[in-house]
Amino acid sequence: MGKYSIGEFEEVVLLTVAILYENAYGISIKEEIEKRLKRKVSVGAMRTALNRLEKKGFLISEFGEATAVRGGKRKRFFKVTPYGKDALERVMETRKQLWDAIPSIAFDFKFA
Amino acid sequence: MVEDVEGDISELFSKRSKQNKLKAKLFFTLDVLLLFRPGMIRNFSPINKLINYAMIRNYLKITLRNALRYKGFTLLNLLGLIVGIASSMLILLWINDEVKVDKFHENSDRIYQLFRNVHQGNGMISTNRAIPKPAADLMVSEYPEVNELALLSWEIEVLMEIGDDANKEEGRVASQEFLNMFSFPMVLGDRSTALTDITSIVITKTLAEKLFGSEWRDKAIGTAIRIDNQYDLVVTGVIEEPGSNSSIRFQWLASAEAFISQNEWVNNWGNGSFGVYFTVDSEEDARVVGERIENVILDNTKDNNLAGHETLIVHKFSDYYLYGNFDNGVISGGRIDYVRIMTVVAILILIVACVNFMNLSTARSGRRSKEIGLRKVMGAYKESISGQFFLEALFYAFVSVLFSVLIVLIVLPYFNILVGKTLLLDFTQLQTWYFLVGVMLSVGLLSGSYPALLLPTFNIILSLKGTIKQSPTSTFFRKGLVVFQFAISTLLIIGTAVIYKQLDYVLNKDLGLDKENLVMIRMDGDLGQRSETFKNELLNIPEIISVTASSGNPINYGRSTSSASWEGKGDQEHEVNVLLTDTDFIEAMGMEILAGRAFQEGFADSTNFIINEVAADIMGFDEPIGKDLSFWGIDGKIIGVVKNFHMRDMYEPIAPLIITSFAMRSYPLALVRVNGNMNSALLEIERITKEMNPVFDFEYEFMDQAYAESYENERTVSIQANIFSGIAILISCLGLLGLSTYTAEQRSREIGVRKVHGASVNQILILLTKDYSSLMLLAFIVAIPFGYYFMQQWLNDFEFRTTLDPSVFIIAGILTFVVGVLTVSAKSYQAATVNPTDSLKDE
Repeated sequence: MGKYSIGEFEEVVLLTVAILYENAYGISIKEEIEKRLKRKVSVGAMRTALNRLEKKGFLISEFGEATAVRGGKRKRFFKVTPYGKDALERVMETRKQLWDAIPSIAFDFKFA
Repeated sequence: MVEDVEGDISELFSKRSKQNKLKAKLFFTLDVLLLFRPGMIRNFSPINKLINYAMIRNYLKITLRNALRYKGFTLLNLLGLIVGIASSMLILLWINDEVKVDKFHENSDRIYQLFRNVHQGNGMISTNRAIPKPAADLMVSEYPEVNELALLSWEIEVLMEIGDDANKEEGRVASQEFLNMFSFPMVLGDRSTALTDITSIVITKTLAEKLFGSEWRDKAIGTAIRIDNQYDLVVTGVIEEPGSNSSIRFQWLASAEAFISQNEWVNNWGNGSFGVYFTVDSEEDARVVGERIENVILDNTKDNNLAGHETLIVHKFSDYYLYGNFDNGVISGGRIDYVRIMTVVAILILIVACVNFMNLSTARSGRRSKEIGLRKVMGAYKESISGQFFLEALFYAFVSVLFSVLIVLIVLPYFNILVGKTLLLDFTQLQTWYFLVGVMLSVGLLSGSYPALLLPTFNIILSLKGTIKQSPTSTFFRKGLVVFQFAISTLLIIGTAVIYKQLDYVLNKDLGLDKENLVMIRMDGDLGQRSETFKNELLNIPEIISVTASSGNPINYGRSTSSASWEGKGDQEHEVNVLLTDTDFIEAMGMEILAGRAFQEGFADSTNFIINEVAADIMGFDEPIGKDLSFWGIDGKIIGVVKNFHMRDMYEPIAPLIITSFAMRSYPLALVRVNGNMNSALLEIERITKEMNPVFDFEYEFMDQAYAESYENERTVSIQANIFSGIAILISCLGLLGLSTYTAEQRSREIGVRKVHGASVNQILILLTKDYSSLMLLAFIVAIPFGYYFMQQWLNDFEFRTTLDPSVFIIAGILTFVVGVLTVSAKSYQAATVNPTDSLKDE
């Protein structure tokens, strides 16, 4: 873990940002998560996660153009940094390692 | 950050409101509410950290610049703090050492000691540590609460011989449990067996080095030492010499068994002998022992109608050093009084130093007003400005602590000589660091508190204009501080003066005998038995007027008996002291006979007695001369009453005394009155003594010197008090110097105008000094009642004491006043002599 410390929700957000690629901003991320994972996400919770990820250096952000539908407020677009990608790979790897380490018999529930 | 979140929320709202307007509004509210989370309301990024390094660096930089800019002022400020901290550090080291005495024994919490209360007929109780040995035996055999019990004798001086080498050494005899109970570190030998054998002796490392040279480690154990030219003891152990952290001192410890078998008298219930120490498991057990033992002596001496009324009490051994004074059988203090006095002095000095700092910083605050104003304009909070001043004070405290540690390290050797200790600033001990940091923080916070609370309240505009006027409250407060400082200084000086006066009184008091030009010679070995010959030899020396032999030093005498009886004596018991002398004693001592006559050669006076006034009062005769008196089985008559003389120190009343010329087998002391050249007389005395007693070294003491030395403790306290009250007034004056400089600066234009209008230098001097003089007067008035109260308390310990007359206060007051006024006028004079054109040309 160490410098790649990342929470479950943070991981989800980071992955979603990657999925959305060039169109990752507040609402799109929120809706994508709600659509794919079927779970409710509040604006506040997501913002906190995004802020944290940005502070850790997993994300960078920049403002886009202003649009009328948002009352003239600009969107903030997020992008995964190479460092963020490392973190995600690292998480996957550790998961994989753990899966590989499970003896086959552990999940053999036939006689349980 | 806010912008895009706002955008997000309004986008959501517009999407939702396409379906259901009300629901959208509700969700909007919910979303907004959910935004109130820690990371979003306020960002705890470095710029708002609780500790702001950049600003702290800036504060320190400004502090340094200010310190360097006003060097004189900084010096005054630091000097006050340094001197204050260094002196209180020294005092606290001393206190720390005092408090720790006898606490180094592993069992020190569990060791208790017996004390014997001797009830006298006049209602007085005198307390001592010499306990009848049977009481100790009883405790061992019948008291289950007592774990271990040790006997320890008083200090005994013996002659130690190895080969041709002879030394006189003081030590004690102790029972074998002694070394187990007390944790004196053993260098060689086994502590549990070292004193088991009847011929065993344990010596200190110091003594071992003296007796056996540098190879003592190899030579000492197993070697026999000839004691008093009578018997041989074998060294079974070497022990570290007890230092100033122990109230029990010795150079050697010998097995008590031999002593007990040779001295039958110790087995008598009526004779106090050894000190008795014992361990118990708990305080409760000690209390139980105390209850059971109280009347043991009475119970066992019922049949003996000559026995006195004596009870036993139990006290913790490690408390005895500090609480060693008994008043009527109850602990009434002791060295703890001095420890308390010095603690108060240390704290007072520290406070005076802090007050100084406060005063100087606030007085000079005008200089800083622009800085404060500017900081405020740039958005500094009040808190950050007070933080700045706290930090500044802490910085000064830090620097002062550094310097005071340096000073303490330099001064400590001299201070050790003064107080007779081996104090050490031990940096390997965590305690020292706690103490240093503690002093730094408390001095910093205390001295920074007032400036830090006052300065940030300055009005921005006024402080930027530089026309900040000190508010009446702050001026009042500062004056209050000056009064406080000087009151403390005056108080300390009053204390010093009273201690000095009492000491002077004690040393110069008429003791009832002439202690000048009196040489005391110990008659060692069998010289005491040949005292008549010795006397006659000495009298041949032309400078010697008279010689007398006596059983002890008459002004430090404690041999007593309670078994005297006289005509018409009631049931009451009285402890009566007995002094054994030859017939020349009264005359040689220069004592005054009030009634009857002194002993005379050829009068068969060996069963005649002389009593002192106190004894005469107790016996209650109208005409004591010729009355019968008997003690120790000697029946005789009173032939004279001698004027009271002081047999003990001034803490105690004069005790009743019987002087007898009943010939003693061996007198321990010869008293020689010399008239003329003391040096040549001493040379002759030495020659004769050596001739008659070649084995022993010639040892002598002057009675007046010995007397003065017995007040060493008081003298040390007096010197300490002297030094530290001097320091307190020095610090106060440093403060005053700073303040008067400041006033003189503030009023420079006023002085200029006054001079232009024809004021003389003197008038201006008076004008400037007037304010501070009245403050010092006030301080004096404040100090008097406190000084009176405390010093009367101290004097009450003495049975014979000087009076607390106004002269003491007046001297202290005048001294403080003069020093203070001189300080103020030094600066004021400078201000008053300035050419008015210089101070007025800016206007």
